[in-house]
Amino acid sequence: MTKEKTVNITIDNQRLEVKAGLTILQAARLNNIYIPSLCAMEHLPSYGACRLCIVEVDGIRGFPTSCTTPVDEGMVIRTDTQELRNLRQEILKLLLSEHPASCLFCSEKDECMEFQGTIRKVGYTTGCRYCPNDHRCELQTITEKIGLTETSYPVYYRNFPIEKYDPFYDRDYNLCILCGRCIRVCNDIRLNGTLSFKQRGQLTTIGPAFDRSHIEAGCEFCGACVNVCPTGTLSVKTGKWYGAPEKEIKTTCNFCSIGCVLKLQTKNNTVIDSVPDYDSPIDKGIICVKGRFCITEYVHSPTRYDSPMEMTPVGYNNIDWEQALNMASEKIGSSKPDESMFIVSPYMLNEDLFVAQEFARKTIGTDNIISAPLLYLSDDFVPYWNMTCRSFGIDAIKDAHAIITIGFNSLYDYSPIGIEIKKSARNGACVVTINHKETNLDMLSHSSIQAEPSLWHDILDALIGDKRKAISKTAEEVFKKEHIDIEEIRKLFSSAKSRIIVLGHQSINHPKRSDLFHKIEDAIEKKSWGIIMANPYTNLMGMLLMGAFPGIRPKDILLEDPRDGFLNLKSGIFNPDLNKKKKLIYVLGDVPADLLPDCDYLIYQNAIPGRFSRQPDLILPTTIFPESEGTILNSEHLFMPVNKVIEPHMDSKQDWWILQAISERMKKGKLKYKNLQSIQTEIKKLIKGYPNNKKRIEFKRLGISGVTKTKVDKYFPIPDFTRATHRGIALSDVVSGMKVIERSIDE
Amino acid sequence: MNKLKKKITTAKDKWKELQENKYPVIYVGAASCGRAAGALELVSEIEKFVEENNITAKVIQVGCIGPCYLEPLVDIKMPGQPRISYSNVNQKVLANILKSHLIDGQPYARASIGNFSKEKFMDIPPFFEQPMLKPQVRIVLRNCGIIDPEEIDHYLATDGYQGIMNALKMTPEDVIGVVRQAGLRGRGGAGFPTFKKWTVCRNAPGEQKYLICNADEGDPGAFMNRSLIESDPHAVLEGMLIAGYAIGASKGIVYIRAEYPLAIERLKKAIAQMKEYGLLGKNILGSKFSFDIKIKEGAGAFVCGEETALIASIEGKRGMPRSRPPFPAISGLFGCPTIINNVETLGTLPNILRNGAEWYTRYGKEGNRGTKTFSLVGKIRRSGLIEVQLGTTLREIIFEIGGGVQKNFKAIQTGGPSGGCLSEEFLDLPVDYESLASAGSIMGSGGLIVMDEDTCVVDVAKYFLDFTQKESCGKCIPCRVGTKHMVEILDKITHGEGSPDDLLTLRNLGDTIKKGALCGLGQTAPNPVLTTLRYFRNEYLEHIKEGRCRAVVCKDLIEYRVIKEKCTGCQSCVRVCPTGAISGPRSEPHNLDPTKCIKCRSCYEICRFDAIAGDAIVIRTAEKRS
Repeated sequence: MTKEKTVNITIDNQRLEVKAGLTILQAARLNNIYIPSLCAMEHLPSYGACRLCIVEVDGIRGFPTSCTTPVDEGMVIRTDTQELRNLRQEILKLLLSEHPASCLFCSEKDECMEFQGTIRKVGYTTGCRYCPNDHRCELQTITEKIGLTETSYPVYYRNFPIEKYDPFYDRDYNLCILCGRCIRVCNDIRLNGTLSFKQRGQLTTIGPAFDRSHIEAGCEFCGACVNVCPTGTLSVKTGKWYGAPEKEIKTTCNFCSIGCVLKLQTKNNTVIDSVPDYDSPIDKGIICVKGRFCITEYVHSPTRYDSPMEMTPVGYNNIDWEQALNMASEKIGSSKPDESMFIVSPYMLNEDLFVAQEFARKTIGTDNIISAPLLYLSDDFVPYWNMTCRSFGIDAIKDAHAIITIGFNSLYDYSPIGIEIKKSARNGACVVTINHKETNLDMLSHSSIQAEPSLWHDILDALIGDKRKAISKTAEEVFKKEHIDIEEIRKLFSSAKSRIIVLGHQSINHPKRSDLFHKIEDAIEKKSWGIIMANPYTNLMGMLLMGAFPGIRPKDILLEDPRDGFLNLKSGIFNPDLNKKKKLIYVLGDVPADLLPDCDYLIYQNAIPGRFSRQPDLILPTTIFPESEGTILNSEHLFMPVNKVIEPHMDSKQDWWILQAISERMKKGKLKYKNLQSIQTEIKKLIKGYPNNKKRIEFKRLGISGVTKTKVDKYFPIPDFTRATHRGIALSDVVSGMKVIERSIDE
Repeated sequence: MNKLKKKITTAKDKWKELQENKYPVIYVGAASCGRAAGALELVSEIEKFVEENNITAKVIQVGCIGPCYLEPLVDIKMPGQPRISYSNVNQKVLANILKSHLIDGQPYARASIGNFSKEKFMDIPPFFEQPMLKPQVRIVLRNCGIIDPEEIDHYLATDGYQGIMNALKMTPEDVIGVVRQAGLRGRGGAGFPTFKKWTVCRNAPGEQKYLICNADEGDPGAFMNRSLIESDPHAVLEGMLIAGYAIGASKGIVYIRAEYPLAIERLKKAIAQMKEYGLLGKNILGSKFSFDIKIKEGAGAFVCGEETALIASIEGKRGMPRSRPPFPAISGLFGCPTIINNVETLGTLPNILRNGAEWYTRYGKEGNRGTKTFSLVGKIRRSGLIEVQLGTTLREIIFEIGGGVQKNFKAIQTGGPSGGCLSEEFLDLPVDYESLASAGSIMGSGGLIVMDEDTCVVDVAKYFLDFTQKESCGKCIPCRVGTKHMVEILDKITHGEGSPDDLLTLRNLGDTIKKGALCGLGQTAPNPVLTTLRYFRNEYLEHIKEGRCRAVVCKDLIEYRVIKEKCTGCQSCVRVCPTGAISGPRSEPHNLDPTKCIKCRSCYEICRFDAIAGDAIVIRTAEKRS
């Protein structure tokens, strides 16, 4: 094993051996030597603007900044001389003269905290106690550390208007110290480029160029800038006035199948903020607006069910669990298996799904476990699943030289995939985007094709097909309209060593998706293209692995022997009869309202009211994922923990508990799960390594045996499908900001 | 090489024809300074005259020969006569000149300033013997105002491109050796030995290297680089070839400020001519050296004259400096080793490579070899572009070359907004890098602004600091915020609201900014204030303690009055007053209404120059504050 190159340096008379290539600041921090700094940050490129981290180095003139100076063999550094201390104090005083900081030097500051309850909601920040970032501010910390107790410079309040009209976060540039962190994270880490410096001299400020609004400038509302802002300039609307959080707990985001790691900050049993983890191997800290900003308003939505409810002729009645469970078990017991319909959600946790399939098979007595993807996709579920289980890890994108995205837009979702595509494009990969509208990858792409979804399979064929085969007329028209140089693209593609197709969720719901899926499968099998699915169904893989699917038992879909690659299902599974009226429908989560057949009794188990053409008769409130405990399978085919971060809202319970409790009141089919551990023990018996698998789980592909019936003819207009949803709830219904930004895509 | 040799022969013949002209040749100084004085109108007058009178004559627009106070300059060379130069030519005088000299063959001596031979000609003294030009040593400016800047043949005829031909016969290391021996230091302001920077770049790893010519010239009042490019662009371009060859660069970029359209135009033409003559492109003159030059225009930012900000600007980013290390010589433009040299440094190189290092060391003194161009402006009798040996004293420059000051000398500002104001006691200071630095100023790019008793040093300090603050890129705290505070304090002082603590605050602020700022702009921004505080402390104290501005400039501290005894009622001031503050009938002493007076100085200026009344308007400072 080769030893890492190190150099010997001296800091404050201390001899140290540090890794070569580090900056002085990094070397000092690794050895617990304190050097104050405001603009330097791990993961961000070095900048050298605040001038607080200055040090003295023998042989270098003046006072170099330790955050930009790399270590060199034999360097002698001093970090704490009297002159440095004086200089730092002066620089800090100058900084504070641009930032309303009266509270920092006021002798009443501690008393003030006790007695001013409502002053915090004042419009303008004129001191720390009025600032939404009080006690979370790096400027406060540094002032104490540097030991500043007074300043004689007048404060210049720059009088910028406070920007409150964009969703999710507010901006008050009167507090900005121009450290440039937000610009560096937006441009260099997120490769987005919304923010930049504007003007110069004392008018310097930050924002999108040419006075455009953030939405116009293509802001992804990823909140990376808010994370890195050391002052209260950028503040999250929902977490503003809470002060420092009590706890920070890691969990996995449940909004899509990528499964990014989130660190949820809580106070008083409220989720006040959600921050990314830059060290997470899957997403590397690049998360989207949903996981970043939607959790608080979703989990603490005033529309959440407080307790079980029953419908009466005069409206809903709150009832307690005892009554609710009795009613449910009574209704289920009095319906025959083929008179009932049991619908689960691919957004549920593995453990909940495991119990749900046992409930369906043992307690209700049916194998027909319906779910939204089955209903939406019907026969096309097979190719959809086959592509999903062959989907590469996100890391594969960086080695790809040719990338085609179909129906994919990473503006407000799938950021980890989008960022890798942007990086690849920067490094010279040929990226072609196909979508019915603009995407945020268009600018970096080689070509971007806007066309109706029904033409996508033709276009794909033309791009990757045989040179000798003629291009279809429709594709040719599109290429002409969009000025696409098809010959050049084909040449670049054919010489690319690694090629990937990224399939977005816009491809799920349009008339020709079957042709599209088959073309892609062709490309995978015969033309060495890889596939990455941007799958909106968070735990689709978990749903099939846990056997919550007709014809599939737990573990059936697990690929243990490579020769055993296929699992064949009867075609009837994918086309349930939705015309016959049911006696009972029991829905856990989501299903499109107009796909539901008519029924006598509807039990709805979810956290928030959904959109129904018929009101549920019995409502059972569930927890939302920050209140739940369990696991999901993510896009890398690994089990990710979903940890309980706050106590459940009022009387809501996790799905498995409700199913268990109902089963206990049935005559037959009682389940035996007293707690989460008992469920996990059962699953462990079936799946080796669960729940801490280090290796990727592989799945069998599906096949259909028997005659395929005519497909279900239900397709939804595209805009509806672009709404971000979770367990059937459109996030724009509970999170006001989502409505604003989704509207901007439609326009 | 042979192709060029043939072209040189042709060029020399052409030049000989011009010198031994058989028909009249008329030279008009039409660089930007000449044009500002009206040269282009004169050109069209001359062309009209020549056509109307059926004279076969050649009219050549030349660059700036130096004495801008004499512009517009029109030179006429008749066959058999030396070139005669006429100064301060206006339309009326032009008519007389053309009639007398062109038609009657008689030089119009009354308007003539000199002739281009070494002896007197018909009572007209030699041009280069005049007091402004005699002490000068014109190396960089040797062709300026003499040749047609848009004719590569003129440059070739005066031994142009000899330098690069000599350089290509040596190894690049040897070329660096010549420059080292010559002792050339960067003329952009820092005075860093040119060979040292080149050596670092030469040795830096990397296939692609860049040579950038810094023609941003942001200092207010400086125009040396502009004049050189407008008057002799090939000198700069040849310098780029030499520098590019020495460091191993294959691409050259001229970063020129967009506010110099004539210079840009001339550069474009010169580059096109170079390409025609095989002086650019692959395998120049049959050697292994390939070089190409592109022009990149600036967009109005002073900070982009700073190395790393300039590089950022060329890369298409916001012009903000970055920390060093890494130094541009190792990792600069697009991450490649890059050398940035000033226009004048590059303009000197052809001379060094043509005449040898030893020749160059004859000028200047040890450690400060060679010559430097300066723009001598301000309250001086003879203002313009000059070139002197390093080591020449300020006294020589101001009083011998510049002809001294009309009123009383007060201070000289060197180095623009990064430099300092030196008082009378420094008149015998030699102009070299170390001496100026020890006095608290810098050489800078060569701006020399002379000030007399009518200049308020506090106002000057405020002007420069205001400039620097507005041009600050905003990246680092000391420069962005520190200069803002300094401007505010100086503003207060000029309004008579200063307090004695302010002087200490200014000094401490200046110290902090100098030590803490990221780039040269910030580090030198406090210099004007710090030097004026050091050498003109009394003026500051007068403003603060007495509320008095002895140069009668600071508006809040002065008041205008008419001295009734001296006023002849000539109405001159009434005519120029923009607000109608002065009134009074003809031949009676006028009245000045202080409530309407905006203190624009127009009445004061006109009354001072009118020989009849003179000094009837007086500016008094306010009464002593209690």
